[in-house]
Amino acid sequence: MVETGHFALVLAFAMALVQSVVPIAGARTGDERLMAIGTPAAVTGFLLTALSFAALVTAYVQSDFSVANVWENSHSLQPLIYKITGTWGNHEGSMLLWVLILTLFGCLVALFGGNLPPTLKATVLSVQGWIGAAFFLFILATSNPFVRLNPAPIEGRELNPVLQDLGLAIHPPLLYLGYVGFSISFSFAVAALIEGRIDAAWARWVRPWTLLAWLCLTGGISMGSYWAYYELGWGGFWFWDPVENASFMPWLAGTALLHSAIVMEKRSALKIWTILLAILTFSFSLLGTFLVRSGVLTSVHAFATDPSRGIFILCILTLFIGGSFALFAFRAQTLAAGGLFHPISREGALVLNNLFLTTAAATVLVGTLYPLVIEALTRDRISVGAPFFELTFVPVMVPLLLAVPFGPMLAWKRGDLYAAGQRLFAAFSLALLAGIGVLLFIDRTAVFAALGIGLAAWLLLGAATDLVLRSGIGSVPAHVVWRRVVGLPRSVFGTALAHMGLGLTLLGIVSVNTFQGEKIVAMNPGDNIAVSGYALHFEGMKAAEGPNYSENRGVFDVTAPDGRSLGTISSAKRFFPARQMPTTESGIRTFGLGQLYVSLGDPDASGAMVVRAWWKPLVVLIWMGGVVMMLGAAVSLLDRRLRVGAPSRRRKPVPKLADSSS
Amino acid sequence: MWFWIVAALLTLGASLAILLPMLRARGPRAAAGAYDIEVYRDQLAEVDRDAGRGLIRPAEADEARAEIGRRIVRVGRAESATGPAAASRSGRLLASVAVLAVPLVSWSLYGVLGSPDLPPEPLSARLAKNPANSTIDELVARAERHLAAVPSDVRGWDVLAPIYVRMNRFADAANAYSTAIRLAGSTAQREAGLGEALAAEQGGMVSADAEAAFRKALALDPKDAKARFFLATAEAQEGRSDEAARSWQAMLDDLPQDSPWRGAAEEALAALTGKPPAPAAAGPAPGPTQDQVAAASSMSAGDRAQMIEAMVARLDGDLRKKPDDPEGWRRLVRSYMVLGRKTDAEDALKRGVAALGADSAAAKELDRFAASLGLTRTE
Repeated sequence: MVETGHFALVLAFAMALVQSVVPIAGARTGDERLMAIGTPAAVTGFLLTALSFAALVTAYVQSDFSVANVWENSHSLQPLIYKITGTWGNHEGSMLLWVLILTLFGCLVALFGGNLPPTLKATVLSVQGWIGAAFFLFILATSNPFVRLNPAPIEGRELNPVLQDLGLAIHPPLLYLGYVGFSISFSFAVAALIEGRIDAAWARWVRPWTLLAWLCLTGGISMGSYWAYYELGWGGFWFWDPVENASFMPWLAGTALLHSAIVMEKRSALKIWTILLAILTFSFSLLGTFLVRSGVLTSVHAFATDPSRGIFILCILTLFIGGSFALFAFRAQTLAAGGLFHPISREGALVLNNLFLTTAAATVLVGTLYPLVIEALTRDRISVGAPFFELTFVPVMVPLLLAVPFGPMLAWKRGDLYAAGQRLFAAFSLALLAGIGVLLFIDRTAVFAALGIGLAAWLLLGAATDLVLRSGIGSVPAHVVWRRVVGLPRSVFGTALAHMGLGLTLLGIVSVNTFQGEKIVAMNPGDNIAVSGYALHFEGMKAAEGPNYSENRGVFDVTAPDGRSLGTISSAKRFFPARQMPTTESGIRTFGLGQLYVSLGDPDASGAMVVRAWWKPLVVLIWMGGVVMMLGAAVSLLDRRLRVGAPSRRRKPVPKLADSSS
Repeated sequence: MWFWIVAALLTLGASLAILLPMLRARGPRAAAGAYDIEVYRDQLAEVDRDAGRGLIRPAEADEARAEIGRRIVRVGRAESATGPAAASRSGRLLASVAVLAVPLVSWSLYGVLGSPDLPPEPLSARLAKNPANSTIDELVARAERHLAAVPSDVRGWDVLAPIYVRMNRFADAANAYSTAIRLAGSTAQREAGLGEALAAEQGGMVSADAEAAFRKALALDPKDAKARFFLATAEAQEGRSDEAARSWQAMLDDLPQDSPWRGAAEEALAALTGKPPAPAAAGPAPGPTQDQVAAASSMSAGDRAQMIEAMVARLDGDLRKKPDDPEGWRRLVRSYMVLGRKTDAEDALKRGVAALGADSAAAKELDRFAASLGLTRTE
């Protein structure tokens, strides 16, 4: 089975080579049969990669230590779920997952691309083939997960204990679905540049695929943030760590792409800009892959590092980013520019959105790469942390967030800002009240909290206003409202949900940053502390044995501010003997939308345990907002207009336009 | 064999997937513009839907229809300019190359990268197979699983501990010795083994913990050679060379001639007194083998007896292949004696003497050693 997987991987590489040459050759020469090869090549390539991945998972499940990758990252005593997730909890396996998802998307284009003009489909599949071939070669040359050991060791070295968590089952696959999903818009963009024309179907295709990738990336980032929050034991949910930024940049660019694709689809405008954004977004994805996989950054994500890998990925990066931008420079002027619009219009609002989002992505890029450049030039290690981003990223985002509710209120082509303002008056007043309420009733000095919560309320209420106005609540009878709500395009709900999600996340972030309570104390059994009204009574330490670790668990009784007993909360220090590595399991209890967070430190000189305890009000909203954004994207994906039929092959279509020739 | 069949089938499938579209007859082809028109038609329907529900005003709807109409007209104009393209001969050539490339690239690349001869080795299957075919690692893993299930099996720990030392898994060895001591109390052998494991873990430095263990061993058995040797080493490491030299000399004076510790003590003494240092003894002295087999002699449980048998069989096999190993022959003879297989022991002795050269010093040494076990060579 192992060698079958290895062979399937090599065969998939051969298929990727065919896929990168034959269909595009057919498209350039107009040979239909060559173009038709793209579809079976993509499907077979995916099936072979899936077989290869299944073989590796099987080797992990069976603890087959004759596979070097399994030996390095698994242990026979690991629980089954971590044996499975360990497959991609390492460099080689995660790259295999990367190409699996890449070929999956290629396969989806092949299967569902019946409504694409054949030359466009063939070119897109070939561009996908280039990316695939490059990464297959990378895997086979520098990161082969199927290298064997003979004789086989009897026991593995175990998966990094920090990664032994359910988060590993969700975070990387979702993140990769997002990263790699943007390869579709990239391939479409490059195909359009090669063909020198932008088909109407192009515009229809880019948006759902971007939406799907964006949905997954949002989920991946949210999940990663929550994982870091509970696993690292510091109670932080975002560290502006370069690896986090690496996933955040494609998100920002992807969000911009999502919005510009709407303009392209609806109004055939901003075409060239959308192409540029599509290239940019996937370039950020590749850059993210490079930063994380090359070992330039050392972190829990880097796994083992090896300079040859870094150079190889750098070559792939240069080839694809440089190549696509060069192609853009040569061919962009041959593309027909799209329709015109007034600056104050839906299009104008979306352009504004794009400007701010790309600027935000640029600030993150600078903050991420600057320390690396400095280190390369002067050997000085500097770190660019939260203060930099608070001074650059936040000022860019605040005006954008202020503008968000206006966007959906403006009409296409020509909008009326004054009318939109009037319609948003109620939302604005309520948001202002929320801010003032915070100042009056919670903390008279918390100006930033008041502003932030006001802004979050503005986003939530603005999105709700859009739905209320479109459904006619308050102006038409109830049964008409219902009919209208049912009749609204799903994308309207999608927009509202995504914008509300943004508001929820903002509310959570502001609330945690301004109102959280924190205590760091050394405690002996029997001691009591209180954090934001919650009383903690330290019961003592309890030793226990897990399947592949031993732990020392500190148990606390929790009493609510009103005196009710809320049971216990516990945090543990675990020790994994196979890796000789300790980890901290933080204790988290959710009460309402806030969380009580307890994390054990080391014993101090007198033997008392150092305990860190936080009360984090509304912290759950940070990730709930992410889920709501994903929900919005999912609802939008179901929108009816995204289903375009393929033209019948026999019918000679003659446009009959009785009522539109005016 | 199965692997090659599967690989061949996969290759065949992949090649066919590329070949089939080439063989298929060509149907009539939709004009490129038709795909655009389809999208625009859909957009028109959407405008109608929105207008019907009152989501956009009639005037806006008319304007949108007009704009889409203009796009459709543009498509019609562009289409009349493009004619149908002809299929080419070079296309067929390219397709043939592609179909051939699939098996060529995959088989040659796999030939470089793959290891088709290595079977998969799922752990459960490795642990279930006949112990006689298992490697030492597998036998140890099997014993570990047994001990994880029955952690109170003292003899298991006693057997495993010296094996760990031989495998350089010193922390595991120390743990095994401590567990045995905790379960069944101190013996000179366990304490000395624990001390040795602790010292080896520190790269040969006799730490305070190790020294304490050796002292306990010596209290239980003042003649314990291992404990005496390492305590002397500790003295040397602390800079008390004279005491160390005296201790080693005392060992040489009263250790039996066949004691494996004599050599170690002689070398240590030589190194201490400034003579050119003899080549370092490999690993932590030959003692562990004896301990190991001695421990094995005290056990009877089925699968562990089997395990020892397998180890001895392996040693026997190794010696057949590489017979120039006096130490190995001594171990083998002794192992057979301990297992009660006297005929095998005699046979091993005979083979050993023959292999080492009947008149060589090593053969005489082996004879003497066998005699000390009560075994004489029958000519």
